[in-house]
Amino acid sequence: MDNLLEIKDLNVRFNLFGAKVQAVRGVSLHLKKGETLAIVGESGSGKSVTSKAIMGLIPNPPGEITSGEILFEGHDLVHYSNKQMQKIRGKEISMIFQDPMTALNPTMKVGKQIMEGLIKHQKMSRQDAKKRAIELLRLVGIPKPEVRVNEYPHQFSGGMRQRVVIAIALACNPKILIADEPTTALDVTIQAQILDLMRELQKKTGTAIILITHDLGVVANLAQRVGVMYGGKLVETGTLEEIFYRPKHPYTWGLLSSMPKLHAKTDKLLAIPGSPPDLSDPPKGCPFAPRCPYAMKVCTEQMPEYTYLSDTQRTACWLLDKRAPKVEPPETIGVGGE
Amino acid sequence: MVRYILKRVGYMLVTFYVVITLTFLSMKLLPGTPFKTANRLTPQQLNQLRHYYGLDQPIPVQYVHYLWNFIHGDLGGSFQYGMQPVTQFLLQRFPVSLELGVEAMIAGTILGILLGIVAGIYRARFLDWGTMTFSVIGISIPSFIFAGILQYAFAVNVQLFPVAGWSGPMSHVLPATSLAIGVLALVARFMRTEMVEVLNQDYIVTAQAKGLTTSAVVFRHAIRNALIPIITVIGPLTAAVVTGSLVVENIFAIPGIGSQFVDSIVTNDYPMIMGTTEVYAGMFIITIFIVDILYGVIDPRIRVSGGQTS
Repeated sequence: MDNLLEIKDLNVRFNLFGAKVQAVRGVSLHLKKGETLAIVGESGSGKSVTSKAIMGLIPNPPGEITSGEILFEGHDLVHYSNKQMQKIRGKEISMIFQDPMTALNPTMKVGKQIMEGLIKHQKMSRQDAKKRAIELLRLVGIPKPEVRVNEYPHQFSGGMRQRVVIAIALACNPKILIADEPTTALDVTIQAQILDLMRELQKKTGTAIILITHDLGVVANLAQRVGVMYGGKLVETGTLEEIFYRPKHPYTWGLLSSMPKLHAKTDKLLAIPGSPPDLSDPPKGCPFAPRCPYAMKVCTEQMPEYTYLSDTQRTACWLLDKRAPKVEPPETIGVGGE
Repeated sequence: MVRYILKRVGYMLVTFYVVITLTFLSMKLLPGTPFKTANRLTPQQLNQLRHYYGLDQPIPVQYVHYLWNFIHGDLGGSFQYGMQPVTQFLLQRFPVSLELGVEAMIAGTILGILLGIVAGIYRARFLDWGTMTFSVIGISIPSFIFAGILQYAFAVNVQLFPVAGWSGPMSHVLPATSLAIGVLALVARFMRTEMVEVLNQDYIVTAQAKGLTTSAVVFRHAIRNALIPIITVIGPLTAAVVTGSLVVENIFAIPGIGSQFVDSIVTNDYPMIMGTTEVYAGMFIITIFIVDILYGVIDPRIRVSGGQTS
């Protein structure tokens, strides 16, 4: 098998006061060496929890992986002890976080924050680690790295801090880089820079990337494959092309429609009406059914199975059942810039 | 940095001067006289006494007179102690309170921070409940209860320490402990809250995501950040504790200045009121200054350079 990472039927639950929230419900996906997989979905769809589960960073209590497997090079990380996971984190699988303003320790020099992983995983001496830290800062495009290495995070701008976060994540040449909304907290010009940087670094290092985002523009920029999550479930997955040009799930249609487009005839911004389901009492059927304009009776009663539309695309929707009425996707999904 | 410190020292002197002035004026508003037998004296005798102590002069004159003497190190004579110079009284007794207070602060702060860290890490588990229960007890029960219990347990039942007095290190243990319990409890509570707060920060997840061990995350990343707000609490607390405790010093018969904060006011011992207030204000101003310097040491964001914060 050439899958670097394979997640099988992952279930994550948070046991809160008086409520058990099923944040991730039966997610299965895989990641090949060197590819970029985007996981998209709105807030609360379970995409961040999935990524935290891979890192073994779900706070327990209250969080708990109730079932499923996370196979990294064939080893199930779910059953790894914390000590075993410490050897994976930062070395094999790294993570970039959403908000660079809070992701760095304010009282520690950035150089030291980069060096920590090197000293721990690669048993480097402090001098070597510092040299490597300077190299990494140069690699992520920070000018005068030999000076900056001795500075504190507050002396860096937001975009520069995100570069530092990326340098920390890439320090030990991880096989997988999980980027949890890496550009959400940055302004648009900086976003483009960070995306360029990630693409360039991926070319250089061959790291596989899991990109967690709700920004389809970022997805189009970086990903080869896309998984769409909704209500803790992976409702559709496919190649970038398939998801953008031949989406089959009404939620994917909704996501694509709500993306602002340059050549749109109206200046109205489309939105998906309603709000995501309450996962402390998850719906029996398809989680999107209450907001779906095409929902049928069966949708609210039973979760649809996946329909395999190609080797790479699978969709969980009753509309793809033979007995369902034929529905054409709305024309508003058209991808901008075409 | 030097400029910053000089500027701060200037502010400190101004603050100190304002405290002296306000205390002097408000002290003059106190009812009654310093003379115990005032109601048995004739007005004439009273006037003679007032004249003798210079209390018949207009307040501005007394004030300037006081300041002049203050600058020359003379705080006047205590009315309660047969005109014994207040300066001498304070120089003899304040070091005792200071020593006791510093011992209590060191013990209480270190243990409190440690307990707080443990409670913060094991949040909502047994160690946390245990520590916090102890902390609530420590905060709510006044120190003289602990003093009594400690005396009974470790000086009467098991005769480990002297029951009272101030001679030799052994005699410090019980009073310092009874003062330290309150400090410990308070510091532990604050430290726990800060630890819980800090451990929820994103940079802690970043540290974990690097694959660091739990202890490395706590010691290298969490504690330093959690300490920043704790210092704010410890500053004024130190000022209060090192200037002596009325109750603990009385119970253990310790010759400190704790009791003078009340006695001097009750007896209208004007020079002593001024003296104790000056000691307290001085300690307070100095600890606040030290706290500000410490902030810069711990938190690079407020480190100062050349009089301006970066």
